[in-house]
Amino acid sequence: MTHTIEAICGRYVTLDIAGRSQRLYFEEAGQGRPLLCLHTAGADTRQWRHILNDAEFAKAHRIVAFDMPWHGKSLPPEGFETEEYLLTTETYIATVLAIADALGLEKPILVGCSMGGRIALQIAALHPGRFSGFIAIEASDFQPAWYDIDWFHRPDAHGGEMGAALVSANIAPHAPSAERWNTLWMFMQSGPGVFRGDLSFYTRDASLVANIGLVDTSISPVHILCGEYDLTCTPEDATRTHKAIAGSTLEIMTELGHFPMSENPKRFRPYFARALDLVDKTGA
Amino acid sequence: MDAPLKPLLDRISATIDASPHLLRLGALVDDSVLLEVDGDAYYLTFHRGRLENIACGQNRKTPWRFAIRTDAAALEKFWQPLPEPGFHDLFGLVKLGRASIDGDILALVKNLRYFKEILALPRTGPRA
Repeated sequence: MTHTIEAICGRYVTLDIAGRSQRLYFEEAGQGRPLLCLHTAGADTRQWRHILNDAEFAKAHRIVAFDMPWHGKSLPPEGFETEEYLLTTETYIATVLAIADALGLEKPILVGCSMGGRIALQIAALHPGRFSGFIAIEASDFQPAWYDIDWFHRPDAHGGEMGAALVSANIAPHAPSAERWNTLWMFMQSGPGVFRGDLSFYTRDASLVANIGLVDTSISPVHILCGEYDLTCTPEDATRTHKAIAGSTLEIMTELGHFPMSENPKRFRPYFARALDLVDKTGA
Repeated sequence: MDAPLKPLLDRISATIDASPHLLRLGALVDDSVLLEVDGDAYYLTFHRGRLENIACGQNRKTPWRFAIRTDAAALEKFWQPLPEPGFHDLFGLVKLGRASIDGDILALVKNLRYFKEILALPRTGPRA
């Protein structure tokens, strides 16, 4: 009987974020220039499984991904049972900076998808020089919800299953069935109210619009990737954002949607390889 | 009364009946849905996930929980095996302005996977 043990290693780190103790799960693979990967709303580190398992990328990069508090295998903080989870820009930034410090990542490249891409651009604007480059996937300055985020946290329905059915709109029809359903499974597993709390940040916090002009690509390069089947962050949204960041680069990805690294890893790989090459060459 | 989509809807109904997976997904679906295509009305009555009745033709007396309104050309694109961007999903049609959803949208969203999967059946089966 054949079997495969993957190169990914998972561990936990307990750290303080904005005055609260958090136990976070992270995975890593490879050695070299650090790459910190941020998952989308309502999901977790498993979205990066194919990037983490890519031996070529791992040759020269220490690839790290972590589950945000409340997500995946990271626990919510003490007292969560009476708390409404609502992600904010401030907490999100504090989380990313805290884990980069805790794991000793020296000027990493920040890679984020969807809300992870949004916060990557916000960090590029507000913390110049802290990261050596940014790959912002399915990322834009802002777009309001085309759905009601309260659908996804109700006592009379399963928010995870509804969330998965909604976000399936953002997956390209070309995605292999197994990877499509692996991608949707994470949303189905999402804790109650977590997807809604992420979407509160993603669809209501427009603060990046005012900050986007602060992004200085002469300090750290910014490369934006966007799938043509993404209904949430459309190629138009990504193009507008690219035009607002002088010196940024953009590639529209065909036959891909909002979760490219997870929904169709083979199709995504060359786009990501080009992005990494670009940021590796031009980053500080 | 024009009802060009009726044969296709009959085949969708038969496919649902033969699909334990769809019947399990739709086990709590007991609703009437108005599907309107180029102004032709189809009142779809679901019971425990089965599409039990298809009434054709506009009828103001027929109640419905939610309505999906679109056009035949959009549906033809929607039913391609690999639809072009936007035509790949019901909400994509709405975003493109080629469909609208009215009424109790939450009733749709609570059973969104079921409704999406039955609407997409013609992608893999015979079309009208």
